[in-house]
Amino acid sequence: MRIRADAARPVIGVLFAALLYLLPLAFAGSPYALFALTLTLCYAILGIALNLLLGYTGLVSLGHMGFAGVGAYVTAVLMKSNVASFAPSIAAGTVAAGVVGVLVGIPCLRLRSHFFIIVTLAVGLMLFLLFNNLDWLTGGAAGLPGVPRPGPIHLGFAVVDPRRPIGFYFVATTVFLLVFVIQYAIVHSDFGRSLAAIRQDETLAASRGVDVFAHKLTIFALSAAIAGLGGGLQIEFLRAAAPQSFGFLEDVNLVLIVIVGGAGSLFGPCLGALLFIALPEALRVADEFRMVLFGATLLALALFAPGGLWGLVWSAFRKLRSHESTVTNAGHS
Amino acid sequence: MPAILEVDNIAKSFGGVRAVDGASFRLAVPGIYGLIGPNGAGKTTLFDLICGRQFADTGAIHLSGERIDHMRVHQRARLGLARTFQECRVLEQETCLDNVLFAAQDKHLSNEVLQAVSRGRGARESVAEEAKRLLDLINLRRYADEPAGNLSYGQRRLLEIVSGLIAQPRLLLLDEPASGINPTLLNTLHDFLLRIFAERKIVLLVVEHNMEFIMSLASHILVMHQGRVLEEGPPAVIQASRRVIEAYLG
Repeated sequence: MRIRADAARPVIGVLFAALLYLLPLAFAGSPYALFALTLTLCYAILGIALNLLLGYTGLVSLGHMGFAGVGAYVTAVLMKSNVASFAPSIAAGTVAAGVVGVLVGIPCLRLRSHFFIIVTLAVGLMLFLLFNNLDWLTGGAAGLPGVPRPGPIHLGFAVVDPRRPIGFYFVATTVFLLVFVIQYAIVHSDFGRSLAAIRQDETLAASRGVDVFAHKLTIFALSAAIAGLGGGLQIEFLRAAAPQSFGFLEDVNLVLIVIVGGAGSLFGPCLGALLFIALPEALRVADEFRMVLFGATLLALALFAPGGLWGLVWSAFRKLRSHESTVTNAGHS
Repeated sequence: MPAILEVDNIAKSFGGVRAVDGASFRLAVPGIYGLIGPNGAGKTTLFDLICGRQFADTGAIHLSGERIDHMRVHQRARLGLARTFQECRVLEQETCLDNVLFAAQDKHLSNEVLQAVSRGRGARESVAEEAKRLLDLINLRRYADEPAGNLSYGQRRLLEIVSGLIAQPRLLLLDEPASGINPTLLNTLHDFLLRIFAERKIVLLVVEHNMEFIMSLASHILVMHQGRVLEEGPPAVIQASRRVIEAYLG
């Protein structure tokens, strides 16, 4: 008997969450593994943010790290000045990034695809210049060091201390799972179906009653806000904000994470983040080498796996299943 | 009662060319209407003005008494104006069933966001049966779970029309539905449109070059020439009209 996909989803979700929370056990709590995994989760959040645009709506943004930077700097400034605690600070960073997203989106989203890409690139570079030059606010090129970590969180049955690697890993996992659920809720909803229609054919979507601009602006703002959340989390984890964390190379890296991982799939950006962040030795040897790899990988993917790595995994899984079913059918007859 | 579609003295110029030059007509009662005319008569521009792809320089368009000529495409669609495209557009990555269900979906952004939170499936489930019945009518039921991109051109055309119908429009505009379709499928399309009209009693306005097809399908023909409506009436009258013959030969 085959379980229907709809029924299997909550089970897969719970297993995925349990796997993430229990993953540190596999590495016996090794601080280096925890560091790599936590950073991966931060980038997976950024990847999901871009995936909502690039993978599901078909809008390519080359400046998304700028929105992550807005979230990061707002969180860092609030935390450093002791204005607010962790949750309100990172919430403020998320909202700030969303607001910047709306302000950028209103003029830019009216542009046709390739002009939109160029303008997002310019916005990313502009935000980078602001991070790099507003010394009084962002600390300029030196950045903002010494951002305090959140204090211990009392859960009743346990205390999670984010100042310890394992504690922060649990915080990051929780935030990541929240973002993942948001991604799922959007994709499998009427809103997500309208976005998919816009990606496939804007003219058709409009003629069916979709307000294309309003839909694009909403998902753009939401995506910017999620990027801000990811940026804020990352800065809380690394405890220092630096402009180059949100520069053009990081934008390229993020696009790579989404496309190589598998744009337009729920797990694609997570897989991409795992590959590009948790395996830094393999892929982050040097910036220039990464660029060479970027070109070569994109070429190879465009030729052989337009669905990204997750697409490859998924089609292999489906082949295996159809193979299984033919074998069982043969057995029955 | 107001006419379902009323086009009043509408005009549109591109540079010095008056593509539509004071066209007026009323589609008062449900029916299959044909819109014909020689090349350059302004049919496509008129079509674009009605569905909102272009905005008129002067004149007014009313849909069931509501003025729509200032509205954007999606607003007109939400008022019950559905259309198909000459080049035939379907969502190629979605299944045939999802194409039809998507057309029926409530696309108001706020309702969509509410649905994402509430996870309600009411709207989709309530039209699922009707969607399947319509797919049955065009022999696409067995492809319901196949991506629409796998269909042949003619099948896509039928799917496009069915998708337009599911949202219960008052007016369905068909832009050259017979173009690029083989003779067998043309008969299917012909009978399907007649059947749909008998069922729904809406206005079908069909722009068409295939004379045999449109004359046997439509009960009323509008002839455009030089940006205006030159003549209108039943097919037999139009085919006998000297002015129409002159417009086509002239």
